[in-house]
Amino acid sequence: MSPHTKLLASMSLLLGTIITTSSNHWMMAWTGLEINTLAIIPLISKSHHPRAIEATIKYFLVQAAASALLLFSSMINAWSSGQWDIPQMNHPMPCLLMTTAIAMKLGLVPFHFWFPEVLQGTSLITALLLSTLMKLPPLTLLLLTSHSLNPTLLTIMAISSTALGGWMGLNQTQTRKILAFSSISHLGWMTIILLYYPKLTLLTFYLYTMMTAAVFLTLNTTKTLSLKTMMTAWTKAPMLNTTLMLTLLSLAGLPPLTGFLPKWLILQELTNQELTPLATATAMLSLLGLFFYLRLAYHSTITLPPNSTTHMNLWHTNNPTNTIIASLTSTSTLLLPLSPMILASI
Amino acid sequence: MTYFVLFLGVGFVLGGLGVASNPSPYYGVVGLVLGSVCGCGWLLSLGVSFVSLVLFMVYLGGMLVVFVYSVALAADPFPEAWGDWRVVGRGAGLVVVLVAGVVGWGLIGGSGFVVDAVDSAGTFFVRFDFSGVSLFYSWGVGMFLVAGWGLLLTLFVVLEVVRGLSRGAIRAV
Repeated sequence: MSPHTKLLASMSLLLGTIITTSSNHWMMAWTGLEINTLAIIPLISKSHHPRAIEATIKYFLVQAAASALLLFSSMINAWSSGQWDIPQMNHPMPCLLMTTAIAMKLGLVPFHFWFPEVLQGTSLITALLLSTLMKLPPLTLLLLTSHSLNPTLLTIMAISSTALGGWMGLNQTQTRKILAFSSISHLGWMTIILLYYPKLTLLTFYLYTMMTAAVFLTLNTTKTLSLKTMMTAWTKAPMLNTTLMLTLLSLAGLPPLTGFLPKWLILQELTNQELTPLATATAMLSLLGLFFYLRLAYHSTITLPPNSTTHMNLWHTNNPTNTIIASLTSTSTLLLPLSPMILASI
Repeated sequence: MTYFVLFLGVGFVLGGLGVASNPSPYYGVVGLVLGSVCGCGWLLSLGVSFVSLVLFMVYLGGMLVVFVYSVALAADPFPEAWGDWRVVGRGAGLVVVLVAGVVGWGLIGGSGFVVDAVDSAGTFFVRFDFSGVSLFYSWGVGMFLVAGWGLLLTLFVVLEVVRGLSRGAIRAV
């Protein structure tokens, strides 16, 4: 792809994200989301492979429909209340439509079907962009309107996302699809606490972004696209397989790693709000995800894969490891002792 | 006159239905024309004549013409017209959805089916749609720039997606 197009697309991605996250008028929020959708299309279809084109079309159709629904909900709210202010979306019907639109944009169940296939059709870096940066503007809108949203809808979507993210990830062998389902279940955790303690949603998103960026960049160094490749990828970058294991277990939410922090605080807040069955259900359902994270961790650290004895191991590698991986891996595994400071500063 | 305006609304929805029942593009564009003409008529009935004429010129005179030229380049040996059973089936399904929506709106909706009359202004008044456009250049310049950038971005994205003679996005070979 021409460098000019790449520059245009990436700058427009940043522009769209900044416009939406800094807006207080629904039109500007919608404009930023549309600019994001348009700008990422050439990035997803960069390789011009039929799989990538299909992923682009699926992404565009879903996001365009969701943007239209968001626009309609803001117009209905403007019609009923006479103003376009984002935090003052108070009528129940536009709130319901908006929640549905944002769920389509994020990939919450039952609007999640596009997400694994789009992630599978693109490169690992574009998949990272789709999982982290493209989730920020819709989450901002949800956070701004969180005080007037319907609890039933959000809870159903959150529980189903945690459940289906775990269940559907169990049968996958492609790493991008596994990470897509991990994203869906993390979104479930983010959504369930949105009504009660929105700062924990933000905290979960930040920590999830860090951890998943570490995983994606590690996988990109060794170009690991499936579990088979992961078993023999350790010879290309031996240090990375240990750190990958720790980062994956952090994504799974195991103490004493960082990923435990959002889950712990969410469960605590849900219990404080007398929603203990909900907390129990969410915790139990994320055990399904734990299984495939453990399987990924096992595949990444195995040093004697079931190959034939004539299999040649690649020992001399020319790929330098990205320095960002080092800082992201450190923060995504070692931040748990800093939790009082984190909690006080979000 | 009230019923004429209602007819325009019905024509708008039927035009959309004609496109959504997925005939071949040669016949779908007729639905688009019907929908945009009825939409312009509806805008006229509300009093905003300038915006209505802008819609006519840009949509029908610009985008639709470009669409017709590009569709004329792509040959379709057996186009699905509105008489085709597949299109009729989709159209019938959409009519069911439409009737359900209308009935639901009448039963549940707030104001039901109320039509109002709109007065025009005096001699030295600028129509609010016309002055609104000028606001787009003064107070709304931020939105203007962002919207202009969005449209330019659309152009570049489309050019990038279909770049390459046989390697464009539409043909995967």
